[in-house]
Amino acid sequence: MLELHQVHKTYATPQGPLRVLEDASLRLAAGESLALMGESGSGKSTLLHLAAGLDLPDQGTITLEGQNVALLPEPARARLRREQLGLVFQQFHLVPSLTVIDNLRLQARLAKHDDADWAGYLIERLGLTGLEKRYPEQLSGGQQQRLAIGRALAPRPALLLADEPTGNLDETTAGEVLELLLSLVHETQCALLIVTHSLQVAAPLDRCLRLRHGRLLDAAL
Amino acid sequence: MTQVLSTLLSHYQRHPGQLIMLLLGLWVASALWSGIQAINATARDSYARADALFDTQLDQLERRDGAPLTRAEYHALRQAGLPVSPMLEGEVFTQDGTRLTLIGIDPLTLSSDNPFAQADTSASLSDFLTPPWQTRLAPDALVALGIERENASGATPTLADGKQLPPLILSPALPPDTLIMDIAAAARLLESSNEITRLVAAPGALSEAPAGLTLTRATTLASPGQLTESFHLNLTALGLLAWVVGLFIVQSALGLALEQRLGMLRTLRVLGVSGRRLVLALSLELILLGLIGALAGIASGVWLARLLLPDVAATLGSLYGAGVGQELNLPWHYWVGGLAVSLGGLLLAGSGVLWRAARLNMLELGQMQAWRSGYRRQLTLMSISGALASSIALALYAWLRLQSPGDGLVAGFGLIAALLLASALWLPPLLALILKGLTHLARRRPLIHWAMADMQLQLPKLSLAMMALLIALATNLGVGSMVGGFRLTFLEWLDQRLVAPFYLNAPSEQYADIDAWLAERPEVAERLLTRRSEATLQAASTPEGSRSIGTPIELYGITPGKSLTPHWPLLATQQNRSSAWAAFSKGAIFINEQLATAENLSPGDQLNLSAPGTNETLTIAAIYPDYGNPSGQVLMASLQLAARFNAPPSSMGLVLSDGADVDALRAALSKRFDLGSDALRDQREIKRIATEIFERTFTITRALNALTLAVAALALLASLLAQARSRRQQLAPLWALGVPRAQLAQLNLAQLGGTALATGLLAIPLGIAITWGLVAIINVAAFGWRLPLYLFPWEMAVTLATAVGVALLAAALPTLRFWRASPRALLAEEANQ
Repeated sequence: MLELHQVHKTYATPQGPLRVLEDASLRLAAGESLALMGESGSGKSTLLHLAAGLDLPDQGTITLEGQNVALLPEPARARLRREQLGLVFQQFHLVPSLTVIDNLRLQARLAKHDDADWAGYLIERLGLTGLEKRYPEQLSGGQQQRLAIGRALAPRPALLLADEPTGNLDETTAGEVLELLLSLVHETQCALLIVTHSLQVAAPLDRCLRLRHGRLLDAAL
Repeated sequence: MTQVLSTLLSHYQRHPGQLIMLLLGLWVASALWSGIQAINATARDSYARADALFDTQLDQLERRDGAPLTRAEYHALRQAGLPVSPMLEGEVFTQDGTRLTLIGIDPLTLSSDNPFAQADTSASLSDFLTPPWQTRLAPDALVALGIERENASGATPTLADGKQLPPLILSPALPPDTLIMDIAAAARLLESSNEITRLVAAPGALSEAPAGLTLTRATTLASPGQLTESFHLNLTALGLLAWVVGLFIVQSALGLALEQRLGMLRTLRVLGVSGRRLVLALSLELILLGLIGALAGIASGVWLARLLLPDVAATLGSLYGAGVGQELNLPWHYWVGGLAVSLGGLLLAGSGVLWRAARLNMLELGQMQAWRSGYRRQLTLMSISGALASSIALALYAWLRLQSPGDGLVAGFGLIAALLLASALWLPPLLALILKGLTHLARRRPLIHWAMADMQLQLPKLSLAMMALLIALATNLGVGSMVGGFRLTFLEWLDQRLVAPFYLNAPSEQYADIDAWLAERPEVAERLLTRRSEATLQAASTPEGSRSIGTPIELYGITPGKSLTPHWPLLATQQNRSSAWAAFSKGAIFINEQLATAENLSPGDQLNLSAPGTNETLTIAAIYPDYGNPSGQVLMASLQLAARFNAPPSSMGLVLSDGADVDALRAALSKRFDLGSDALRDQREIKRIATEIFERTFTITRALNALTLAVAALALLASLLAQARSRRQQLAPLWALGVPRAQLAQLNLAQLGGTALATGLLAIPLGIAITWGLVAIINVAAFGWRLPLYLFPWEMAVTLATAVGVALLAAALPTLRFWRASPRALLAEEANQ
């Protein structure tokens, strides 16, 4: 499903080159779930961005569904993202100009995988029934993150990448959202990579890796 | 307060682009407005100086045949006890080729209350009257003479013909490019020992004109200031338009700066800064920025005025014969007024910001929600205000319909302004409605659906710029169509009026002999003699009754030959063209449109015209167009004019037979009658000069139009650049969801281009309405004649292309920045959202 092999990434900063990832390798099988933990600035989000083809490594290979992401031109990477991946961000990133239902179906429509029944089911499961015509800013934080999860799962992706999906939520809401996320991932049988610094988030997942100064280490929970 | 102000200003340190846009808007608005005002102020100063001299303050006596008076005639009149004073007028050329008007006067016989006689000069009267005499001139004439102001007094510059002017004395109150000296000195320079151009007398000093002379009363002479009033009103209207469009940029930049500083303002309030203090600090910030922008704008306005003044002076000279100095002469109130207008505009544009800051809710968190409902309220308010503005436009239109043609210049401008305002106010609600409909229709096309929905979100930030674009486009189309229509009409009219291929100008006493000689020449097919004279329009008899008028009027005589009558344009006749011409040949008159409009006359009405020894009542057979003439004119058959008003010939059109040798005819004419080589002028040359003057007349209109459109483009660019960062934040998640950057960039351009196209489409009917207002109301009120309404599909296509082009040009930079942004930069935008 997803394989990173000896990936290196350095950013140029005013203070000089900043090495963010060093020789990072990992493998994620279909249907598997993996937590990626680490301190702030340890390179977690960079790794997730590289896995999604949002950025390119300096060295190493990233293989997604058998394709080397680093070798794909931008349109092909974009296509891969909309058809194979689901992305959930800490800041939700809903489109303010679209209603709840249009936001939920946006990626599925872009990928031409739109399924009205599945979207309806997701709305129900996400507890957004009756809110379909509202705009994102008319929802609570928890509702917005549930909507973001729904949008990522609507095209039935092979891999769901989530960057601190509960980082902006209170503890109770975070628990509810995480439970819902895992349950839906289980139903859709997609692989899951979550970037988090929360042990509660990492605990229910199949595996956990820790990033430290750009290097990946196995972690025991 | 200093701390609050420096905290507020620190925003611009982080966002210098916003500061540049704000200052740019102020600068442009202030520059265009103050530039126009500088031109107007200089022109008014020139008129005031001309008024203060002789032209409109004294009654004038001239020979009826147009020939110069002689000293003997003057002495005879003085001996008969008439209080007249001689005046000799001519032209001299400086070494750089500038033409100056030379006026010779006799101050001893000028009435004592004449401003010139009372003028404060440093020299005594005897220095003026006796050799080496004096030349009095305004300082702005020194440039042409190549003399510095400090060296001017007492200088004796040499003219192009080698003659020396008497010592110079500066008199700032004199009109531009005019030299005044004793009549003896003027006679020496003009080599005119015996001639006098005219005699002047104190108003009312003469009860009637002596025999052989015409008396023109000062009260009936229109001053250049009166004649050119409408021209300056047009300029002021264009300047005001540019000022309003410039303020759109200011409003955009201020709105954005407030939007981005809402957090800062709330923090300041939370930290204990009172609402009043905050508003005061914002006001101080506005004044500070306003002063910088306004001062830069006024300085540029003066530069712009210097650039445009020669064309304006040429226009005013050719249209109205009004002399305008080429040097800017700006009174103190120009500077204060310019500053006040710029600052006033800034406060007007910034009043919304101050209002919002005053009502700032410290705990307001649901910004987007508040904004969405706020914008809906704003759209409703715009619709209502638009309806109000269009009601005003309707009311003005109804009022104008009740007025006689030619009245309501200010109301006409008011109607156009109300139309522009109504359309601008209705634009955002209309665009919102269209976008809502399109969003609904595009539900199955996810990207287009997003693009439409996203455009609705962008609309509040773009609406001001789109309103500015609409106004600029509509004005451009309106004025462009008016000028284009005018050009077509004018060229057609020239073709109709100048039917003869050649025109002969000779001294009036020679025409009888020339006519007899030409009648014998086989190559001359037709001779179209013209005559000119003047009379007083005493009264008019219309079906409503008789009324006295008492206006001086120009009489123009033409020969209704077979080449001329089929082409001569007529706007209205009593029955038809042929009966009108038949009546004309028998003594009926035609009047020009200006006279018909001014006095509300129609074919069939009768005019009573008087001149010394003559009083005629004549029937109007038709009304004809007379473009470019500021005054009323009566047209008569040349023979009738000679018989009834003893009018001298003024020119003769010659229609030649096929294969005629023009050069041989010219040579024979010159030899036989001792005429100059330019006596026989080619019609094409006359048309070329007339067309050149026409084109020059509209140089400033075109320049201001182009500048207004450029300002609107800047307003759009300012809005787009100002929201470029937030746009990237909105586009980044879509890119993350798998929409390629190229597609997003194309969509971004298509969104803007489409909105601008809709704005351009709305600008077309509005532009047509403006053209109609200009030709049917403004032109009639300002000049006395109405132009036909011409529409140019090509101009409309250009308007649409300009709208889209301006939008794409303005959108190109932000789009390019998005397109070229590195993936990491986009991710940073995304993370920062």
